[in-house]
Amino acid sequence: MQDFETLLKNSAEVHGHLCPGQIVGVRMAMLGCELIGLNNPRQLPQIKKIIVYVEIDRCATDAIAYVTGVKLGRRSLKFIDNGIMAATFINLETNRAFRIRSTEKSRELITDYAPEIKDKHLRQLEAYKQMPTDLLFKIQTVDVKIPIHNMPGPTRFKTICQNCGIAVRDKKEVYQNEEILCRSCAFGAYYRILGKKNHANAGALKAFNYEPPFRKTPC
Amino acid sequence: MLKQDDRPRERAYFQKIKVKDAVGLTLGHDITEVRPGEYKGPSFRKGYKVQEGDLCHLMRLGKRHLYVMDLNENQIHEDEAVIELANALAGPGVTFEAEPREGKIQLIAAYDGLLKVQVDPLTEFNLIPDVMCASIHNNTPVKKGLPLAGTRAIPLVIERDILDQAVSVATASFPIFAVKAFNTVSTRLIITGNEVSEGLIEDRFEAIVSRKLAAYGSTLAETAILPDDQDEISSMVRYFLEAGSDLIITTGGMSVDPDDVTRLGIRGAGVDRVHYGAAVLPGAMFLLAYKGDTPIVGIPACGLYHPTTVFDLILPRLLAGELLTTRDLARLAHGGLCLDCATCRYPACSFGKTG
Repeated sequence: MQDFETLLKNSAEVHGHLCPGQIVGVRMAMLGCELIGLNNPRQLPQIKKIIVYVEIDRCATDAIAYVTGVKLGRRSLKFIDNGIMAATFINLETNRAFRIRSTEKSRELITDYAPEIKDKHLRQLEAYKQMPTDLLFKIQTVDVKIPIHNMPGPTRFKTICQNCGIAVRDKKEVYQNEEILCRSCAFGAYYRILGKKNHANAGALKAFNYEPPFRKTPC
Repeated sequence: MLKQDDRPRERAYFQKIKVKDAVGLTLGHDITEVRPGEYKGPSFRKGYKVQEGDLCHLMRLGKRHLYVMDLNENQIHEDEAVIELANALAGPGVTFEAEPREGKIQLIAAYDGLLKVQVDPLTEFNLIPDVMCASIHNNTPVKKGLPLAGTRAIPLVIERDILDQAVSVATASFPIFAVKAFNTVSTRLIITGNEVSEGLIEDRFEAIVSRKLAAYGSTLAETAILPDDQDEISSMVRYFLEAGSDLIITTGGMSVDPDDVTRLGIRGAGVDRVHYGAAVLPGAMFLLAYKGDTPIVGIPACGLYHPTTVFDLILPRLLAGELLTTRDLARLAHGGLCLDCATCRYPACSFGKTG
């Protein structure tokens, strides 16, 4: 793994700016990787061994993703919308997992670690660099049961929404009132369709069109 | 009767060999590594194919001999077999762990809802030798992540044709396990009783019904308090139906006293069918009527005094969109007796477990 300053510089570049969240995120990710015994998670073979659950979508999240190499598209980055500055690092090979949370106390200690810096922003940056790990983070050993439909790898499950005819992958469908539906049809969408609805495929669907076996090929 | 004889079949697949000769062969057991203060866990898992580069590691762990498995193409390791079994059993709303633990896989709820188990096909599945699946009860309300069933191949190694037979039985009745999502329904409540209507006592039904609905994500849209008047009750049921209710709940007036006219009021509202009486205690005088697909429920007064009644068995099924029949109410008989424990442990008890 590259050194802290190099990772921070590159992470800030990818993220768009250098901020306290970058420092916290890089440190958290480096610590997480160390705890689960991975020193090069951005490359093969370790890239296939790591999954990270992040609990917030803020600056630190990008830093964690940069350092660990986890990505939504690889299914190695999971977002749990808890609004908590925390992430769980999992080694799929050993099943070891650690949840690391940024402490609120660390925010109060900023002036203790860089009192000579007058500018608040710069003081934060320096303090988060200097602060000991045990003050900056709270570490928990955890067990995470990842269901098969959330694992990386080729698509194993696919079905068709009986209302709109759209393919739904990875067991994200909903069984509601005797119908297999996509989440938008079952619970309502986050968007509103403007103009005419297009449910052209819906009428051709059979009553119970579900594909139980594993699919062998990616789709 | 046990499904298989007790011959120690596993031994036929095991071979004790020297570590240096193990390359390319499959481990028959986990190998645990302990690094004091740092790590304790399996370094090599059962089913792992030993590589040349592993030999030094194994020697460091003090291993001089290993049990390895020598499988032909028709013999499937339990960890591989159980993934196929779980996949065949898990329908919509049901997922499972990615890695078997001790040869078992748990099926788990992918979201909150009502567990549906096809009991007869599950029995057929379990009649096949060398496989098993045990579950919680049909029609249990479940939360996301709750274990629903566990399945495994019973021997360490299972024959391909037996595994295929088990998968075939499960997929023929697919889905043996499914979770129906609860609908968020527009619910209206009619509280009947002269004593409440005239303000002699304060109603307690509304809070109870609200709490029970909230457990499944629904709320009360409207509440009416009426006297024991058949015509007024009929009018209000009709009004609530026209208001677009998905579910109408009435409370009280279900007994046989001259003032108990709620069920007559419901009948008078022009409903299509009425099922009066359920094979459940408490809750024998429960009523379920339908106008089209809209259920109208009559909760007897026992709903005030018992924490758990027939209403708790029926409500999740109605919210899951099920259209219930007289037979469904009669089927509640087996398991329909509440033991009225000092501290209610429902649903962790026999109540409502109709099998």
